[in-house]
Amino acid sequence: MKWLGPLNSRGRHQDVRTKRMDGVGNWVLETKEWREWRGNEGGADKAVLFCYGHPGVGKTYLR
Amino acid sequence: MIDDLCDGPLEEDRKVAMFYCDYNQQEQTAINIMGAILKQLLVREEEVEGVRKEFQKAKEKVGGRGLRLPDIVRILKQALTTLPRVFICIDALDECLHEHLLELLELLKDILRESPKTRIFLTGRPQVEAEVKGYFATGVTVPISPKTHDVKIYLEKELEKDPERGAMSDDLRADILRIIPEKISEMCVEAPPILTPRITLD
Repeated sequence: MKWLGPLNSRGRHQDVRTKRMDGVGNWVLETKEWREWRGNEGGADKAVLFCYGHPGVGKTYLR
Repeated sequence: MIDDLCDGPLEEDRKVAMFYCDYNQQEQTAINIMGAILKQLLVREEEVEGVRKEFQKAKEKVGGRGLRLPDIVRILKQALTTLPRVFICIDALDECLHEHLLELLELLKDILRESPKTRIFLTGRPQVEAEVKGYFATGVTVPISPKTHDVKIYLEKELEKDPERGAMSDDLRADILRIIPEKISEMCVEAPPILTPRITLD
């Protein structure tokens, strides 16, 4: 589907999966914020979840 | 988070589209990012064919170069109406050029307005928090910092790579695994960010 633009994130995602360390950052999955967002609670008001942090803290590698 | 979403309950009908921003890729404009997301949400053959024909038609027009941003957003919104649950994940917003970032956030807001069931997951450095909150005032934020447990796992893996494992005493190994995670956690709480990325998890 090149006609929808040149970008594709699949390769980058594979790279992230390979480099990720099991268990690191899993605490985020236990947070109320994640569970509610994932479960669609809060409706449209809570449709966006933003995880922020300094470089190197593991944002990209969250499972 | 993307894998947790992808590996969720089998009975849940969902689609996950992702994008990783990267400041090295100059072509990461709002139109190309939206195009990359749309590619992942076109699931049926006839949908793909329909969009391809639209692209062809747009290209044949005088001066036409293909689909424009409003076309892509319109098709994306259309696709969202046919899918039960969609998660759009965009990583490293801070790596997106500021002008593209604002356009991207505006487009996501517009998409949510019409498809309020869509869930959007964003990550970025603290400097883009104001922008995200500016567009999604009621959105939820989670600050990320490595926990003691995270650092310990990281250190254990690194120590396993040591080619001369026998050279380190058990006491030293135990001290490393005890003291460094404690210190890192203290640094994350107390120190400016410049000191924290010595152990790089992303």
